[in-house]
Amino acid sequence: MKSRLSLVILVTAVVSPGLCAGQPVDTGTTTPEFNVMGFGDISYVSRDGTNEDGFVIGQAVAHLSALLGPSFSVFGEFSATARDDEYATEVERLIVKYDFSDRYKLSAGRYHTPIGYWNSAFHHGAWLQTTVSRPEMVRFGSRVMPIHFVGVLLEGNLPSGDLGANYKVGYGNGRHSNIARAGDAGDVNGDKAWMLQLASRSRRYQGLDVGIGFYADEIELPGEPPIDERTVSAYLAWTREDPELLVEFLSADHDNGAQSGTTTAWYAQFAYRLPGERKHFKPYARLESIDVDASDPLLAPFDLDYDAGIVGLRWDFNPYAALKAEFRSEEFAGGGRESNARLQLSFVLARLH
Amino acid sequence: MNALARRLAIVTGAALLVLAQPLRAQDAPIAIVVHRDAPVESLSMDELRSIFLADRQFWADRTRISLLVRAPTSDERTFVLDRIYQMSEAQFRQYWIAKMFRAEIPRGPKIVFSTDMTLELVVAVPGSISFMRASEVTDAVKVVRIDGKLPSDDGYPLR
Repeated sequence: MKSRLSLVILVTAVVSPGLCAGQPVDTGTTTPEFNVMGFGDISYVSRDGTNEDGFVIGQAVAHLSALLGPSFSVFGEFSATARDDEYATEVERLIVKYDFSDRYKLSAGRYHTPIGYWNSAFHHGAWLQTTVSRPEMVRFGSRVMPIHFVGVLLEGNLPSGDLGANYKVGYGNGRHSNIARAGDAGDVNGDKAWMLQLASRSRRYQGLDVGIGFYADEIELPGEPPIDERTVSAYLAWTREDPELLVEFLSADHDNGAQSGTTTAWYAQFAYRLPGERKHFKPYARLESIDVDASDPLLAPFDLDYDAGIVGLRWDFNPYAALKAEFRSEEFAGGGRESNARLQLSFVLARLH
Repeated sequence: MNALARRLAIVTGAALLVLAQPLRAQDAPIAIVVHRDAPVESLSMDELRSIFLADRQFWADRTRISLLVRAPTSDERTFVLDRIYQMSEAQFRQYWIAKMFRAEIPRGPKIVFSTDMTLELVVAVPGSISFMRASEVTDAVKVVRIDGKLPSDDGYPLR
């Protein structure tokens, strides 16, 4: 606890001179600017050996952002997800941000935990991602990694020239005792979670994005001793589409004092935008895996071992909509297998001013 | 006489064809222009790229940078997408939607529909930056050197 508090004090001390050096010019004449975006998708899923084929309404997601001054902005993301007998609504993100400069941007709210690539880059935007489905390690409600966190985040650029280095440091509520959830209404224990991500978006090699991340928390389950969680992650993304390559790896250590274990997860996705007249088509493939240590005190009880391979084709038939066809073969803990085919129509409602 | 008339017709036809060609952006250098009070005189290509990608959003005096981009189908936009963004029109669109989705920027670039509109907004909006043919720049805006060169210099990179 004291060490985490020390970290926060250290970070504050390091950045304070920059924060206090000056602030963005506000002439007092700024008119608030509002932007609205939306994402949605509709799928048809056919599962091997079941009678559960059918249409699925994916998430309907609304994004609202507002620039309330030259340095002060608010961002909100809200979703409605189809369940068996209702729609589940959720405040996915709510971020209030103050930009002191390019190097220091301080915000508070609910975030996509910034310790990997997919979770921040695509998340609820099915149209943004090449594929129909997300990798299992970052699926909605994933227990492997904390998908959301609530707290404060300091982020910005690092002086690095063409390297385009940037950082994110977060401090906030850890996971809920239902570990698929963030601590939205407060932390379940006194130990806050903290995270650090260092990344590089190369200016020389436009489209190259690499990063490493670290996340630490103490998780409290009902009737169980506290479990220390230490997660490291790394990713490489090459998004030029000729080809497109996404690789992400995560290793999570869990230790409750009497028992410890490590869970690893990764995916590697390859896609290629066809040239010339066929440029609206992008075939793709992905391999992915989750390997849970049998002695992992947090994740072993959930039988999360998983291996899958997918192949698919994306057709951008409209600038703001895509049709994707995907075949997926999965193997679950205990050796269970499933194959399914999915057809998804995804779209974005957006407008550049 | 017939031969002379034929030659005249060929020359006239060729001249009309040349004149009828739209003036392509690569025929004239593209100038990077900013609001006159923007604290910048010169940028490297990498710095320019980071501003146009909104990876850099503030000038040195902490004024927020306002990026103005020409609407699709203009020659200037095609040139800038090719030389600065190194993106197709579809990649450009997705880039900004993704950037807003990640909450990295509160707004995308402002779209402008003519050189006159570009000039008007660059003059009116503090911190603004945009691009236009060098031949259409007026004294109302400031031209930024790129890699130390002005549009009229040999070796200017946006030619």
